[in-house]
Order: sequence, then C-alpha cells, then structure tokens
Amino acid sequence: MLDTTTQPPSVGLSTVPRYAGWIGKAARSGLYRHTIGLLVESRRVRLAVLAGVPLFWIAMLHIGPILQMANISLLANYPPQPDKSSEYTLANYALFFSDRLYFLPFVRSLIFAAVVTISTLVIVYPVAYYVAKIVQPKNRMRALLLLLIPFWAGELIRTFSVIMLLANRGALNVLLREFGFIDRPIPMLYTFFSLSFGVIYLLALYMLLPLYSAIEKIPTPLIQAAADLGAGPFQRFRRVILPLSKDGIVSGCSLVYLTAVGVFAAPLLLGGPNSVIFPEVIATLFHGSNDKWPEGAAFSMIMLVVSLTTVGLFMRVVGGRSVRLM
Amino acid sequence: MRTYFNDLPKTALGASYWIFAVYLVLPLALMMAMSFKDANFIAFPIGNWTLSWYGKVVQDKQFLEASLYSIGIALATTVSATIIGVWIALLVSAENIWGKAVIFALACLPAVVPGLINAISMRIFIRAVDIPTGTFAIILAHTVHAVPFVVIMVLTRLRSMPANLVDAARDLGADPFIAFLRVTIPYLMPALFGGMIFCVLTSIDDFVRTFFLGGYQPTLPMLIFAKVQGGMSPEINAMATIVLVVTTAVGVYAEHITRRSRS
Repeated sequence: MLDTTTQPPSVGLSTVPRYAGWIGKAARSGLYRHTIGLLVESRRVRLAVLAGVPLFWIAMLHIGPILQMANISLLANYPPQPDKSSEYTLANYALFFSDRLYFLPFVRSLIFAAVVTISTLVIVYPVAYYVAKIVQPKNRMRALLLLLIPFWAGELIRTFSVIMLLANRGALNVLLREFGFIDRPIPMLYTFFSLSFGVIYLLALYMLLPLYSAIEKIPTPLIQAAADLGAGPFQRFRRVILPLSKDGIVSGCSLVYLTAVGVFAAPLLLGGPNSVIFPEVIATLFHGSNDKWPEGAAFSMIMLVVSLTTVGLFMRVVGGRSVRLM
Repeated sequence: MRTYFNDLPKTALGASYWIFAVYLVLPLALMMAMSFKDANFIAFPIGNWTLSWYGKVVQDKQFLEASLYSIGIALATTVSATIIGVWIALLVSAENIWGKAVIFALACLPAVVPGLINAISMRIFIRAVDIPTGTFAIILAHTVHAVPFVVIMVLTRLRSMPANLVDAARDLGADPFIAFLRVTIPYLMPALFGGMIFCVLTSIDDFVRTFFLGGYQPTLPMLIFAKVQGGMSPEINAMATIVLVVTTAVGVYAEHITRRSRS
C-alpha cells in the first residue's frame, strides 16, 4: 500500500511560499495565486506578460518619435492651421538642397565629425596600446582609471573647463605671454580649433574603451613572434596589431562619429560665427519665434539617415561586426 | 645605442599616455583652481585666493533647487529605465521568441541615434500625444536614452547565468515570479547596480534633451549653461567644482563596487 501521508511535496502551485511580512501576505493572496496560476498554465499569457510592456515601449518610444518626425517632415504646415494647407509635400527636403545657408553647415558638420573622429583615433590609439600592452597588468586598472576619472565630470562642465584653458585670458595665452612668445593673446576660443579641441576632449572616452578592450585581447606572444621573425616596430604594427584591433577601431570610430555629428552644447559654448554647424541650424528651427517644425524635422531626418548610412557603410567596408560599447 | 632604439617606441607610447592624461586633467584642474580666485571675473593669473565663492554657492537657492530637481529626475529615470531595461532584456534572452534580433536592435536604437535627433524627435512626439514640456517629458526622454545601456548590461550578465538556477528554484517550489525575484534579480545585482549608476550620471549630465523638453524650472546643466552664457564669474567654477567632485565620487565608488563584485 502507498503511504499517502509521506508524499513528497508537490511541485508548483500547491506549495504555499512561506515568506514573512507583506511579501508572504501578498504571495498567499487569492489574486496573486490566480495570476501566477494563469502564468504557469498558459504559454500565451506568459508571452503576453513577458512581451507586452517591452514591445509597447519600443514601438511607442523608440520607433514612434522617429516615425512622427518623418511624418511631420513631409507636411507643408505643422501644427495644422486653418488658413494654410496641410498637404504632404517634399518642399522641406527641396529647401535643404536649394539653400546654401542650410546645405553648407551640414557639409561642414559631416567634415567636422570626420576630422574629429580621425584625430581622436590618432591621439587615443597609442594611449590605449600603452595601457593594454605595456603597463604591468597589476597597474593596468589604475592607469585606466586615471583616464576615466575626468569623464565622470559631465559634458557641460568639461566644455566649460576648456574655456579656462583657451580663452584670451586663459591659462595657455597667459603662459605664452609670460614667457614672451606672444605680445597679444592668440584668439583660440570661438573658432574651429576650440570646437574641435572641446569635442575631442568630450568624446575621447568612446574611442578609448573599445580600443583598449580590442588591443588587450591581442595575444602578446603573437606580437613577440612577429618580432622574432624579424618584423620591426612599424611592420609589427601594420601587419599584426592594426588588423587585430580592427573591431575596436570600428566601434570607437562609429561611436565618436555619431556623437560628434549631433554634438550640441559644445558649439554653443565653444563655437563662433565661423564655425556654425548643423545642429545649431536645426535647433533654431525649433526654438524662438521662427518656429519651423516641418523644415526642422526634414533636416533632422536628413542628418539621421546620412550619419547612420555613413557609419553603416564604414562598418561594411572596414569589416567590423558590430558596434560595441565596451 | 641599440637598446635605446629598441626602447624608443615604448618611451614614446609612455609619453603619449602621460600627455593624454595631462590633456584630460589640466582643463578641469584649471577650472577648479579658478573657483578660488578672489575677483569678480575669470582670468589668469589667479592673484588672491578665497573660499567665499563656495559660501555663496552653498547659499544660492537657485543652485540648491536645481540640484534637487536634477537628482529627482535622475532617480525617477533610474527606476523606470531599470524596470523597462530588465523587462526588455528578459524578453530578448527568452528562448523560442520570434524576431529576437530585430527586437534587440530596436531596443538599442536610441543609443545610436545622435542625441540632438533623439531630443527633437521626442519633442515632436510629446506634442503629438499631448504631453506638455516639463518634468515628465524630461524623465521620459532620459529613460529612452538610458534603456539601451541597461538592456546591454543586463543581457551580458544574463548570458553568463546558469540556466539551471531558475529551474532548481522552480523544482523547489518557487513560482515563476518568486524565482525571478529571489534568484534572477540577486544574480543580476552587479549589472543592475552598474546600470543604475550609469542612469543617474547620464541623467544628471544631460543637456540637449532637457534643452528641448524642459519647462521653466532649470536642471543643473541648464543652470550652469545659463550662467556661462550670462557672463562669467568664479561662482560658476565653484558650482561646477562641487558638481564635479560629487559625480566623480559617485562614479569612482560605483566602479570600485562593480569591480569588487566581479572578482
């Protein structure tokens, strides 16, 4: 005969969780047990709970705003006004190509972002290599942390601190004058120089981390083997290190480029009348009295599509697999 | 001579590291030094030193209000971004779900869209769904920005989680929700902590989204921006130094904790 009193505790629903306090009370309540029962029994309910909120969020807030922006960019007028037509039109896009006032800053922005990306790569690569391969492993984290600390400071504060260095009565000019190199200050602030300086300062981290993790993964014996086989420093770099750190280069460049294209606070604080780049142009269409949303939306779409296409092509051509943040 | 040439690349690399470190630290150091200048304008050299700017900032009601406002927004952002990020990560990591790669790519979309475009599209969106500019709009935009990073961090951690942990909990009688609460969440804790600190710092730091979506009440970056544009005095430096020290301390502390929990 089976002894029914010593049955093993049945699995799942029939076991009452023994938690003290409000969790236990909630877990024993009828509502909770009913909900969980549904969850366990029906795959469809389980899927709905798992997918409902994420899919709603992604559709609503990741895709929705961009679709709405695309929609508005095709409207003749927005918000709709009774005395003006609100038909679909391509005029906003045509305006971009016909007016140098818009087209020029856009081209300038793309070139600016490309120059910043390449400069950042050239500046940061040796640094990343030094930390990843030459610093002793036990000191490596400390060496990296020293470079990371300034990045906790935040975008605006770092931008502001660049002014301290480059202003007419900033540290650099005062120092140069003190040593008698110059008579009157070199105007460095509010130029392309200060803007690039600041943006590289802001974005170097996005280059440093992917490069560091890519270079760190290169097996050191491989580099030594190349040296043993007679490759000089340059050849080792060209034929071994560079190809093996390609993933890091692609990730870093993509991140820096995408951020540099849309940089906004830095041009406002560090740029001048001769260095107006596209984000400022777009922003003026949304702010102030000349509220031109359809044009602004169209220009934003152009910027989004062109910058993402550029990065996509770059990744395809250089052959990285995916953008990684760390 | 030969050894000198062999060491040359190494020396050059070391020099590049130190020059880069100076490049990163110097402007911030100058900015901090300027906060002690005893004059009403920002210019080098710093003749006399004073602490009075700090006294002024600490009593500045605008600064305190903006700080509290920014911290409040950051906390709300962190809570909502963590919940939604974990939810998306669970969906993407679940087996036999159709179109996982697409869902993941779309979940990461706001991370690759340039910040300005992100801000503008949100501005257009909130007008379309009739949300006024202001606190709620800012939190929404900051959350959209932070979610992809939470998703990536949580997914990385989830992938390293042995699948049989949850099975074991279920076998021992936990229902799916209790198993999630008592097994999955504790396992995710390091990633969650890192993600939360990231959310707080990016939200407090954000300028462009707040610029387009904010109402009349300024956040910390907006206040600093307005002060920089409105004429500069070492008071801004003192303000920025306080913010800098606090955020750096939080960042370094978080770095320390996540490193310790990893090893």
